[in-house]
Formats: sequence, C-alpha cells, structure tokens
Amino acid sequence: MQVDLQDPWSPLFGRLTLDSIPYDNPIIVGTFLGAATIGLIVVAAVLYYKKLPYLWREWLTTVDHKKIGVMYIILGLVMLFRGFVDGLMMRTQQVMAVGPDSPGVLGAQHGFLPPFHFDQVYSAHGTIMLIFAATPIMAGLGNIIVPLQIGARDMAYPYLNAVSLWLTTAGAALIMLSLFVGEFSNAAWVGLMPLAELPYNPGVGVDYWMWAIQLSSLGTTFNAINIIATIVKMRAPGMTWFRMPVFTWVNLSTSIIGLTAFPVLGVALSLLTADRYLGTDFFTVGHGGNFMLYIDLFWIWGHPEVYFLILPPFGIFSEIVPTFSEKPLFGYLTMVAASFAIAGIGWSVWAHHFFTMGMGPDLNGYFSSATMLVGIPTGVKIFNWLFTMYRGRITFTTPMLWAVMGIFLLLFGGFTGMMLSAPAINYTVHDSVFVIAHFHCMVLVVAVGAFAAVAYWWPKVFGFKLDERNGQFFFWTFTLASIVVFVPMFGLGLEGETRRLDYVFNPQWRPLLIAEEVGIVLYCISVFYFLKMIYVSLRDRVPAGDDAWGTGRTLEWMTHTPVPFYNFAVTPQINALDELAWRRENGLDKVKPQTFVPIHMPSNTAVPVIIGAMAMALGFGMIWRIWWMAGAALLAIVVAVIARSFDKNQGYILTAEEIAKFESKTELASMIAEQPKRTPLDHVEAH
Amino acid sequence: MSAHHSDPLQNPEVQQGSTLRFATAFLASVLFMGAALLVSQHKLPFLEFAEILVGLTFLTLAAQATLFFGLDISRAQIWKSVSLILTVPLFIISVGLTVWAFSSLYSRTMLPANEVPSMSMPMDSNATMSMPAQQTLLQ
Repeated sequence: MQVDLQDPWSPLFGRLTLDSIPYDNPIIVGTFLGAATIGLIVVAAVLYYKKLPYLWREWLTTVDHKKIGVMYIILGLVMLFRGFVDGLMMRTQQVMAVGPDSPGVLGAQHGFLPPFHFDQVYSAHGTIMLIFAATPIMAGLGNIIVPLQIGARDMAYPYLNAVSLWLTTAGAALIMLSLFVGEFSNAAWVGLMPLAELPYNPGVGVDYWMWAIQLSSLGTTFNAINIIATIVKMRAPGMTWFRMPVFTWVNLSTSIIGLTAFPVLGVALSLLTADRYLGTDFFTVGHGGNFMLYIDLFWIWGHPEVYFLILPPFGIFSEIVPTFSEKPLFGYLTMVAASFAIAGIGWSVWAHHFFTMGMGPDLNGYFSSATMLVGIPTGVKIFNWLFTMYRGRITFTTPMLWAVMGIFLLLFGGFTGMMLSAPAINYTVHDSVFVIAHFHCMVLVVAVGAFAAVAYWWPKVFGFKLDERNGQFFFWTFTLASIVVFVPMFGLGLEGETRRLDYVFNPQWRPLLIAEEVGIVLYCISVFYFLKMIYVSLRDRVPAGDDAWGTGRTLEWMTHTPVPFYNFAVTPQINALDELAWRRENGLDKVKPQTFVPIHMPSNTAVPVIIGAMAMALGFGMIWRIWWMAGAALLAIVVAVIARSFDKNQGYILTAEEIAKFESKTELASMIAEQPKRTPLDHVEAH
Repeated sequence: MSAHHSDPLQNPEVQQGSTLRFATAFLASVLFMGAALLVSQHKLPFLEFAEILVGLTFLTLAAQATLFFGLDISRAQIWKSVSLILTVPLFIISVGLTVWAFSSLYSRTMLPANEVPSMSMPMDSNATMSMPAQQTLLQ
C-alpha cells in the first residue's frame, strides 16, 4: 500500500507547492540568478548565431561516439564545478564555525550554513563528484577513445550509447533541479540508514538523490554493455586480444565491473523506494527488516564502483607514460592481468567500509586480507610505469605531469588505504576525516587522470592542442591545492575530527582548518587557470598533426586530426601491439589509403534525447508524487522505444567520392563541421 | 547493422520466443513465488525455511532463464548462457559473505533477550534492569 504522507498533496501538483521553492534563502537565490543568467546568455548566443538547428541535428540527436563522449565530458565538468563549489562551501563553513564563540550569519548559529543545509551540501558533493562528475568523464573518455583504439567505426550500439548519455543527463538535471525546487538529501551520498528512511526524512531530498542515481546508473549500465560489446565484436582485423592497448583493456574490466555491480545498486535503491513509497520494511527495523542490509548492498556496489572509477585513469597513465617516455609500456601482460585482478578482488572487499558493524574477527580478517591483496596488482602497475620511465626520454608536458602526479597520489591513497584495511586502525579512525583524506587521494587520481586524458587526447578530438603554459599553471596550482587541503586533513583525522561536522567544537583545530581553506583558495586559482587554458587554446587554435605528440604509439594517432566522423576511411589492418609505433619503425606510418569503399553509417535520432527528457519527467513526477506525470512519462518512454523498433531508417551510405573529399580536406569531416542532410536507407543487407 | 534490423519481428531472439513459453515462464514464476508466500506463513526452523526459499528462487530463475530468455547452449545463445554462469561466483561471494556477516550480527550487537527489560512490562520509575544488562550498557 502506498504510504500516506502528512503534508499537503494535490492530484495535479502532488507534493509540489510554492513553499517548495526556497526563495527566502539568499545563497540559493543568488545561485539561481547566476545560473539563470549564464543559461540565458548561452540560449541567446545560440539563437543570435542561428545555431539551434545545428545544435539539434549535429549534437543533441547525434549517435556519433565522439560527440557523445564530448557531451559526457562537458556534463562531467559542469557537475565537477558544482561539486567543487559544494566543497568550497563545506570548507568555508568549517573554518568559520570553530568553537562556541564563532559568529553565525544568514540564519546559521555558527558559520553561514545551518546544519540542515550543510548536510545537503555534503550529500550533494559526494553524490555529484562520484556519480555525476567522475563517472561521466570516464565514460566519455571510454566512448571517444576505445573505438578509435580498436579500429572501429563507432560503438557497437550507437543508439543505446545516446540513450546512456541522456539517462545520465536526466539524473544530473534532477540534482541541479533539487537546488531550486525542494531540497536535496541530507543523508550523505551513501544514504545513511535509517536516516534515509521516510519516518526520519519525510521531505523530497532523499527521493531526489534516489531517483537521480537510479536513472544515471541505468545509463552507466547500458554504457558498460556497449563498451563490452564494442571491444568483443568490433575490433579491426588483426586486432587480437593482446594487441589491444591497455586503456581499452581497462575499459573492458571497468565495464565488466559496471555491468555486474550497478544492478546491485539498482536493487538497493528499488528496495529503499519500496520502503519510502509502499511502506515495506526492507531497511527499517520493523517486521524483520535490517538497515545494515542496505549498507551491505550499497557497498557491494560501492566498492566495485571505486575500481570502476580508478581503473580508467590507470589505463590513461598507461598510454601517457610510454608516449612521453618514448618507450613501449613495461610489462604489458602484467598490466592487463593486474587490471583484471584489481577488478576481481574489488568485488570481494566491500565490507571494509563497515568493519565497525560487528561482523566478528573472522570476517573482519577476511575482508582485511582481501583489501590488502589489492595492493599487489596496484603495486605491479606502479612499478610498470616506473620501469617504463626508467631510461626513457621523458618529456614533462602537461599530460605527463598529470600522470606523474596521479602515481604519487595513488601511492598516498594506497598506503593510507593499507592502513585502513587493518581493522584495528580502521576502528580508531572510522568516520574521521582521515578516511576522507584517504579517499580524496584516490578520487583525485580519477580527477588528475581526467585532466591528463583531456590534455592528451584533446588535439585528436578538436585538431589543436591545449595551451601548454596555462595548462602547467593549472597543474601546479591544483597540485599545491591538493597538498594544502589534504595533508592537514590527514592530521585532523588522526587528532579525532569526525567527518560531516557543520560545527567544529575544538578551537585547537583551527590552524589546520585555515590551511585547508587556503588550499581551497588555491583550487579556485587552479579553476581560473583551467578556464584560461581553454580560452587561450580556443583563441589560438594551433593546429596539431595526426600524431599530435609525435611519439604516439596506438591506433588512434593514425587517424586524421581532428578525427573525422567516420573515424577510419579504410578499416585498418593491425599488425602489432602499438600499431603506430610498429608502422613508424617499418616506414609505413605515412602510407595513406588511395581507394575507398562506401561506408555504412548510422543516422542521428531524436529518440534518445526524448527518452532522457521523459526519464527526467518520470523522476520528477515520482519525487513529488505527481502520479499522472510519472505515469505519462513512463508511457511515453515505452511508446518511444516501441516506435523506434519499427523505424525503417537504416542509416545512410557515405560514398567513396565523399570519403575521398573528406580525406583531402579533413576539416570538412571534423567534429564541429556541419554535415549535409543525407537520404536514409530503408533496407540494408547484412555485412 | 544486420538485415534483421529492418524488421524487429525478424530478429532471431524474437523469433525464438513464443507466447506459450512466455506464458509458462510467467505462470511458473507466479507459482514459485506463491509457494514462497505459503511457506513464509508457516513456522519453520530458520535453516529449513532458508533452504526452501533458496530452492524456490533457483527454480524461478531457471524457469525464467530457459523459458523467458530461452538460454541454452545453442550457437545463438551460448555466450549469453556463459555470461550468466560467469556471474555465479559473484552471487556466491556477495550472498555468501553477506549471510556470513549477518548470521551472527544480532547476537554480536544486540543485548541478549533475557537481559533486556520486556517492552510488554509496565515501565515505571521503579522498573529495574538486570545487573548484567546494566554492565553491558555501561561498557
């Protein structure tokens, strides 16, 4: 039976009333005005330059893996900025609210954020950074690079790829919407139990969190299926398993994790949904329910999710380090084996997140040992990168700097992880900011991996390099900021500061909190240099060659720069691991195909973006219990999927003449070039 | 893109399905779930209850895998069947370790029943707690 809530409900608007809009909160009103202004400027610019049809036809309805990848990364970067602002607010609150004499402003007794608002901020920060920033960025990179590295024309399921993107976007949009309509969860990014249950959290915050994650995790699961199918089925002739680049291998292992782990999250959230909407007792203490069961299910997904995020940066480093050391990757096979070992072990260590539950010494011992085992394949990777650099001709360009920083962070995060894997230590620092500092070292590996990858592959996608000078300023300010924020945080954790404090009771911690705030200011400066780097690069647009760095080794550097929308004019024949390096050694790297055969390409479609919009409406309807909206949106999704099944559009044929033209004038086929409308086929033979 | 994409009804997987199999799978699932509901109404020793429940779950899964999804070792389905089998270790790890963790959780984390004052007892200012319970709480 549906749970009967006490607050007002109407059939038309559900729980939504004018009071749901926090117009009395100056921070939120200011944020809204800022966001609305930026949004209006973007919309006005699009309309002024008459780019709406272009935007719709070439981007919003695209099924091209590279454009989808770019949109994933843009989404991730926008959310990264939002998550960073949340982090900035948290650090500022803590440095303002130290000791009983600390003043309060904007309705807060101490600092500037009342506890309920602060709780929402840290919940949003964690949720956004992990699920709506890191995950889309990594998914985007996989989308762009994996097909290029294996010589594929596109992903195995281009349409599903677009559906994945728009489902993730729908989840992100719900989170953004929660800022201005209603509230966000105050039960942390994990959904603390029983705090996330209805009796303790009757507002819509937990529902926003739940539906946003549920929708985006569907998108991530579809993306994992797509990556696996692409790697298994779409490799170019000669691209045997052990000629695949390590980045592709890690994407395979990552996607296996995604495909197997994300359904567990889906189940956990579905059961929580049943508790909150239907009054079941899966995670309450009534009728045999157990809230620790939720924690268990959450971390069965949650820990593989950590490796889901951390493995792609390992692949990124494995591409960057050989390129800028001018040497083949040391220990290719062990690197591949280590990736799968990490993925496998990562599935069996989840309970180290709640050693303190009381599961007993035997099981604590098992999870502790299993966690320590992860250190072995991770160590193998670190040594392999170091041996690759050893006696190499190293060039410290921006991507290489990020990769080296990633290795250092991995060491910091890894060693402190080893400390935490010992239950005795874990009990001591459980729920302290020591744990926060540890896992920020790990997720910073993801962030620096993303920055490294963006700098490294940017020229391949857009045809020009990112500005090196500002890139290095960005790197050094970010590095300094990371040290200044997280080293004091380790100290505070060891001194006993617990996490999620909106008020810091011990004035002796103030110096270290001030140091953290200084670090946050340095992060702000790094954001400035990031934006400046993008601006200067767009302004100058210094063209890059096909092999932008001159020492690339893998297949993607054999394509044109910027890479054309059909990727390869002729499907390449692969002869070796590091195909480009092999061709260079054999004097074949400059050989270009002279004759072409027609290419069958998929047509763009509006169905994925419609599904995304309807999924958002479904989520919004469920959150506010506007049943007609949720029902209509679900029905629209079902109808769209069925209608798409009977769509007779079978893509189009790119003729040999067109390909020859594009090959001679590559800018006509670039990602930002507008393509003419092509007649779709209504029937094709199997090929 | 293959020729089958021209008509979704010509897809080999769609062709493989049949109304009878779908209906049978649905009925089997309802039947096994109904059986589980009936079993849950009876007082059984925990282990026996868990065994029956796990057995019924496997029967439901088998019915759905074979009848609804049509999984078998044919050339068309072998990789799907293998993929499903490859997830079995994950089930064993996640379900097994969860059962292990939760099997003794209550006794490890909660006060023994005989040391907790019953909720049915009238609670007044004179209500007392047994000495061991007080000691446990004080620890």
